[in-house]
Amino acid sequence: MFEDRDDAVERVVRYLKRPAHIDPALDRRVMAEITRLPAPRGPRPFLLGWLTRRRVVSLSPLGALAAAAGLVVLAFVASEQYLGGLRGAQRAGAGQGIADAARVYPFVVLAPRATRVSLVGDFNDWDAARTPMRRVGEKSAVWTTVVPLAPGRYRYAFLADGARWLADPTAPLARDDEFGPPSSVLTVGGS
Amino acid sequence: MRPVVRLVVPLLVTLASATAAQDARLERLAPETRAPVVGLIDSARSAGLPAEPLVQRALEGATKHAGGDLIMTALRRLAGDLGGAREALGGAASPAELSAGAAALRAGAPPSVLAELRRTRRQSLTVPLAVLTDLVASGVPADSAAAAVLALAARVRDPELVEFRHAVERDIALGASPGAAAWAGALAASSSLAPGAHGGQQLPPRKP
Repeated sequence: MFEDRDDAVERVVRYLKRPAHIDPALDRRVMAEITRLPAPRGPRPFLLGWLTRRRVVSLSPLGALAAAAGLVVLAFVASEQYLGGLRGAQRAGAGQGIADAARVYPFVVLAPRATRVSLVGDFNDWDAARTPMRRVGEKSAVWTTVVPLAPGRYRYAFLADGARWLADPTAPLARDDEFGPPSSVLTVGGS
Repeated sequence: MRPVVRLVVPLLVTLASATAAQDARLERLAPETRAPVVGLIDSARSAGLPAEPLVQRALEGATKHAGGDLIMTALRRLAGDLGGAREALGGAASPAELSAGAAALRAGAPPSVLAELRRTRRQSLTVPLAVLTDLVASGVPADSAAAAVLALAARVRDPELVEFRHAVERDIALGASPGAAAWAGALAASSSLAPGAHGGQQLPPRKP
């Protein structure tokens, strides 16, 4: 009635060692489940973690007002900074208000030996990096660019290769040219 | 540190740096030139003159590698012209009008012409003053240019004034004398106006 203990253990071991029948589609199903899982997220960088951690900030009404006033002033200064960049182009039209829509004006110059040409003037703070000109063709000597301008009078010049100044032969020369290299003048009419 | 201080202090620091950066364009000037230029521009601003033309002239000098003395001389002259233009055009003149008026005065237009333009034209004087300056730069005698612009300014719009200037330049390029070109251009612009469009000065007789 009692079987031998070693036989019982042996049968249990045989049962456990029997080959398992696995559904051939299992791999596919497992991989499909894995791809559906959200991508694992690495540890957040310290700064991001610090910035995104929720905090409770307590403010007195006076403190909140001061912070709000600071934000308003900051927004005002930022807008002034932004508008400052536009003032060069809008300068001449300032008397007529921002309502004066700037019109796009083409500038063309002939510079056969130049490798780069910039347009500088009252509308771009005389900054040679601001308005680079483009060759019309691959080997062309004609350089061109367009600039939006409000009505007014502008002084400008072309700078070839960062060193050679060229006046615009199609425009009047600026008379009050105290600095040596010539400048030209463009008058933009309003409505 | 209390939370409110933590919030307000960075705001004030940012605000201060933003304010200081407003004239950052002038950092392109040599350090020894920057201080007097900033001082002159601040003085002009305090006197109610527009600062932007002075900033632009200083930047032009910096880009053209002009010496500090030359830049200061140019700025003083321009500030004087802006002041003269304001005197002639009145305190209500816009910065653009003052800038154009200063250029006209520098070109040789008498202040009385600026004042007369203010009386005769209701719209902005920026373009008429610019056209006047350009005519003089093209070789038209200052009094002829002033007479032509005064005759047209009250009756024509800005684009017609610019077209008038182009016509004068074309005629000069074709060989006409600058004075005759201005007179003919003004006559053509006047005759192209609609009948009954009066209100400005009569075109003066052509000088022999």
